[in-house]
Amino acid sequence: MSTGSNSRVPDLEILAAKIRRNTLDICMQRGGYAGQGVALADIAACLYFDELRTDGKGWFHDRFVLSNGHDAIMTYAALAEHGSYTLEELRTYNADGTKIDQSPIEGQLGFEITAGSLGQGPSQAAGIAWAERQRGTDKRIYCLFSDGELQEGNVWEAAMFAAHQKLSNLVYIIDNNDLQASGATTNVMSVEPVPEKFEAFGFFARRVDGNSVTEVLDAFEEAKSVAGKPYVMVCDTRIFVGIDCLREALPMAHYVAQNAADWEAGLAEIDAKVAALTGEA
Amino acid sequence: MLLEGETTFDGAPFDGISFDLCSRRKDVVMVSADLSKYTQIIRVKEELPDQHLDVGMAEQNLISVAAGVAKAGFVPVATTFAVYATRRAYDQMVICMGTSPHTSIVVGFTPGIANPARIHHQAAEDLGMLRSVPNATVIDPMDVTDFKQALDVAVDLPGLVYMRGHRGNTPRLLDPQKFKFELGRTYRLRSGSGTGIIATGHATQWALEASGILEDRGIDHSLLHVPTIKPVDETGLADFCFAHDRIVTIENHQIVTGLGSLVAEVVSDVGGGPRITRLGVPGSWAPGGTLPYIREQLGLDAAGLADRIREAGR
Repeated sequence: MSTGSNSRVPDLEILAAKIRRNTLDICMQRGGYAGQGVALADIAACLYFDELRTDGKGWFHDRFVLSNGHDAIMTYAALAEHGSYTLEELRTYNADGTKIDQSPIEGQLGFEITAGSLGQGPSQAAGIAWAERQRGTDKRIYCLFSDGELQEGNVWEAAMFAAHQKLSNLVYIIDNNDLQASGATTNVMSVEPVPEKFEAFGFFARRVDGNSVTEVLDAFEEAKSVAGKPYVMVCDTRIFVGIDCLREALPMAHYVAQNAADWEAGLAEIDAKVAALTGEA
Repeated sequence: MLLEGETTFDGAPFDGISFDLCSRRKDVVMVSADLSKYTQIIRVKEELPDQHLDVGMAEQNLISVAAGVAKAGFVPVATTFAVYATRRAYDQMVICMGTSPHTSIVVGFTPGIANPARIHHQAAEDLGMLRSVPNATVIDPMDVTDFKQALDVAVDLPGLVYMRGHRGNTPRLLDPQKFKFELGRTYRLRSGSGTGIIATGHATQWALEASGILEDRGIDHSLLHVPTIKPVDETGLADFCFAHDRIVTIENHQIVTGLGSLVAEVVSDVGGGPRITRLGVPGSWAPGGTLPYIREQLGLDAAGLADRIREAGR
């Protein structure tokens, strides 16, 4: 399937590469959830620079709800490209007393909810979607959460509610990276088949390669054409996809301590990619 | 501020309270978790369906969906039994509502021993749980007048508001013409000297019954009603305590972490002060059964309370 958005693919791939670079830049200061930020860069580029409509005042008309605090690094790295944060501010990520929380508190720019306690985003996003529909707005609500979060019962309570309420203004984006705190999700507590489970709850579900800008754009486009149902895109990703040296060195890195990665090698690789993509563009 | 004469009862107080509020405030949404009938949300559901949302039997979802509704410009009033709101969805209350500036109200019905089913339906620790959440507001109203006015105030407060609810035959004791609920304010219902009684919520009804017996026996005392557990007028509370020889607290709650603890903390912050006797659920599971039976078993019936208050004053 292809869409009219495909002309945007090269630009979005450059943005994704820059988001990967920003992720390393931020996390190399004191450690962080670098693998997730890198892996989510393609989704972030599509979301922030194509899908979310602007409000004409420097922010977004549509609403993005981040459920799992770990993935805040994705938002920070993307908003650095957006211009809402400077890299200098973001380099205080994980520092004592910083307002750039690893797992942010509601009210921080870019974060609609306090995201540290897992499994609570899908319900809050569904509540927002219900209320926006009640108010008669055309806002679309996007909620990112992880495959590990699917182990929380609160997520399935939310899924039941969203489908029952036919919230077609709601899109769940699942970071299906097969990794949680204590190992591979398939080993800790398998959550598959994810799309089929959501379909059974009444969603329109699609599994996509979360590192393919084209597939992610197509899914976002498709979501807008689905009536009477919420939409879920199950995005298969893997930690550090897009930076091969780190992907090979740290394939199971839920969290990367400052001294646990060869950040310089990673930066060199992604800098080269950015240069190549920019040169080709 | 108490009504004179025969006490009247409202058989379904929250039906009227919720309907009146939703009729006046179109931004208020009553959120239920399969207990609308049992929390007596009837007319809102039937006549104002856009202002009622049922999430099914899912309390974590009740609180987190309601929090989302708040983040899109409405004022949610999440309703369920106090046990479920607190024990089952405490994290959602603290994180989704308690860290948010948006007004989010939770009303916990059949609190303490106001439920015949023992242990699992009796939330006798909810006030303590909520009282320890930074910036949360905690209210335990005593009757229909207090309940209605407190909710009217709550819809304009920031962040998480936890309120205990009344259902079924609920007395109207406070005169709506003379009583005005103000957040944090304490209300002197009887003035005297000697023993000062401090009560909240349902227990203020029980304290009034006991007060009548003490009056008949010629035992001097005062009675202070404290509907706001947090934030409370600590100076007013301390002044009341230090003006009496003995203090007796009465609450529909465990005697730890709730009203009695609050009063003890306020008095100890000043230092010295009167001895405080804490009456309520005494660190054990309450029995099940009718409310009169449970109260009698725990020494919280009118006669039992009057005896214990007199005893504490000796």
